Amino acid sequence: MMKGLSVTKSVVRKNLYRDSIQLLKISEEAKKIPGVLEAAVVMCTETNKEILEKLGLLTEEARISTENDMVVSLRAKSKTASSDAMKKIEEMLMKPSVAERAFYSLDTALKAMPDANLAIVSIPGEHARDVVIPLLERGVNVHLFSDHVPVEDELELKKIARQRGLLVMGPGAGTSIINNVAVAFADVVNKGPIGIVAAAGTGLQEVSVLVSQAGSGISQAIGVGGGDVKKSVGGIMTLEGIKALEADPETNIITLVSKPPDAEVQVAIMDYVKSECIKSYVTCFVGGETIPIGKDLKERVRQTKTLHAAALESIRADDEAKYSEAVKLISIEPDALIRMADKISAKLAEEQRYLRGLYTGGTLMYETMILVREAMGDIYSNAPLDKRLMLTDPYKSFRNTVVDLGEEEYTKGRAHPMIDPTVRRIRLVNEASDPEVAVIMMDFVLGYGSHADPAGAHVEAIQGAQRIAEKGGRYLPILAHVCGTNKDPQSLAGQVERLQRLGVTVLPTNALVALLAWIIAAKGEVKDSTVRRMYKEYLSAV
Amino acid sequence: MKQQKRSMSENKASKLFGSPLKVINIGLDVFYQALKDQGVDAVQVSWKPPIKLEKEYEDILSKIL
Repeated sequence: MMKGLSVTKSVVRKNLYRDSIQLLKISEEAKKIPGVLEAAVVMCTETNKEILEKLGLLTEEARISTENDMVVSLRAKSKTASSDAMKKIEEMLMKPSVAERAFYSLDTALKAMPDANLAIVSIPGEHARDVVIPLLERGVNVHLFSDHVPVEDELELKKIARQRGLLVMGPGAGTSIINNVAVAFADVVNKGPIGIVAAAGTGLQEVSVLVSQAGSGISQAIGVGGGDVKKSVGGIMTLEGIKALEADPETNIITLVSKPPDAEVQVAIMDYVKSECIKSYVTCFVGGETIPIGKDLKERVRQTKTLHAAALESIRADDEAKYSEAVKLISIEPDALIRMADKISAKLAEEQRYLRGLYTGGTLMYETMILVREAMGDIYSNAPLDKRLMLTDPYKSFRNTVVDLGEEEYTKGRAHPMIDPTVRRIRLVNEASDPEVAVIMMDFVLGYGSHADPAGAHVEAIQGAQRIAEKGGRYLPILAHVCGTNKDPQSLAGQVERLQRLGVTVLPTNALVALLAWIIAAKGEVKDSTVRRMYKEYLSAV
Repeated sequence: MKQQKRSMSENKASKLFGSPLKVINIGLDVFYQALKDQGVDAVQVSWKPPIKLEKEYEDILSKIL
């Protein structure tokens, strides 16, 4: 009824730019203005137009605007409430930056901090080169968060950095931990002897968090961006990162984390480890190495297939005595997993047979695909292992589906789903309406940069999904992994408790979520011996 | 032999390790805020895209300059 009386209005501001996180904050604030029923302040990208449409906020002005334009769109109880809210939002948009020392040019910032040793760059990728080169010329290491940096720029920047003995961490690097400081999206972990070089952002987060949770710690964790291990870049920064950690007296073990590198890059990395390095290594090319690693390297290099195994083997490589305690802290034995799954699958209706994964972490989703594909066969995705399994519509799941909601099709002009839960909330409710869904998997990534309360931000959507399933006479199990520590601003324990109170099954690692989801969806048709074999193959060293 | 390998591997990036971080954050101010919350010395650069000139003006300017 209220909807019938409400007013939907939008104002388009041509060529006004604010970054997606500022706009998310303003959108959240706008929703709290009295009389406002729904609000969104976004750049007019195609993705955002789709979201506006789903929220019932896509007006004709917004529809015909371009990605250089900003739209303020809201639904309010009355015309007065609507125009009052528009005024307030306008004020928010004109407020200056939160920084007490904000500079408007790099030159003035460099003058103010002439001894800067690190820069974090998170601007649209096509402009990154022009900002990073002057930083490197001044001897500043760079964490380059930006995506969509042309590969020729990436190569140029990394070559300049190598020549000057500097690090360019990225482009597309979500995470680093330098001197125990969380850089960009990173967690607060214990200091310790394990150094990480990762071309996989949430891979770095998961391994660093698990190492910390399992009783050890991280010396340095260097994110290099997923493109670094492609043939076109040749692993330049992976090698520079290894070099830096080899020279670091605080690092005993060096753990390499990425999706499988291109074959020639893997060869270059392992040749370097063989001929130039003396420390012990753990490799986690998620799913397995591209080509076999030489036998001569095996005494110094432990190979793993999952992030879970990489964390445990890193601890074992440093101190064999700590391994069994570490396993107790972050793992669940296969027989216990089978018992958990049996209890859950007993409640499922006959037609419930597919699993769905709604991920904010790309590497976490990838790890899940690797684990469930062997048992479940085809896994559809917006970023599948095989092009044949690409979803035709990224907003619609098909059979067994896992999606990385951090990919471009969901994020162009929007904040990442680790910050903005809107897209995942809508998706979760949609999945619950599908009677064939047997189990839903979700990740909640904590740490600096992420949402202040990701579990809390999903309460309504989780309850909504459960209600929809219940109305259809179904039980809908939701499995989650919370990637974080108790030292993170959001606190792991608090987030886990919040989810558990909603009836969500929370597991200590992402790999365990994937295994449990698979056993649940198989509904007793999987042999216990197969579960044990998978566990052995994927959750410990190869 | 091993010692020799180690000295070959040294690079300047490792100087970053162990030195107090001094960070310039260019772009998303959420990262600046996170550094401040961790007690790190940081400055923020509020970056804006360079103004795009219309082709016509660009041609005129390039002739003048």
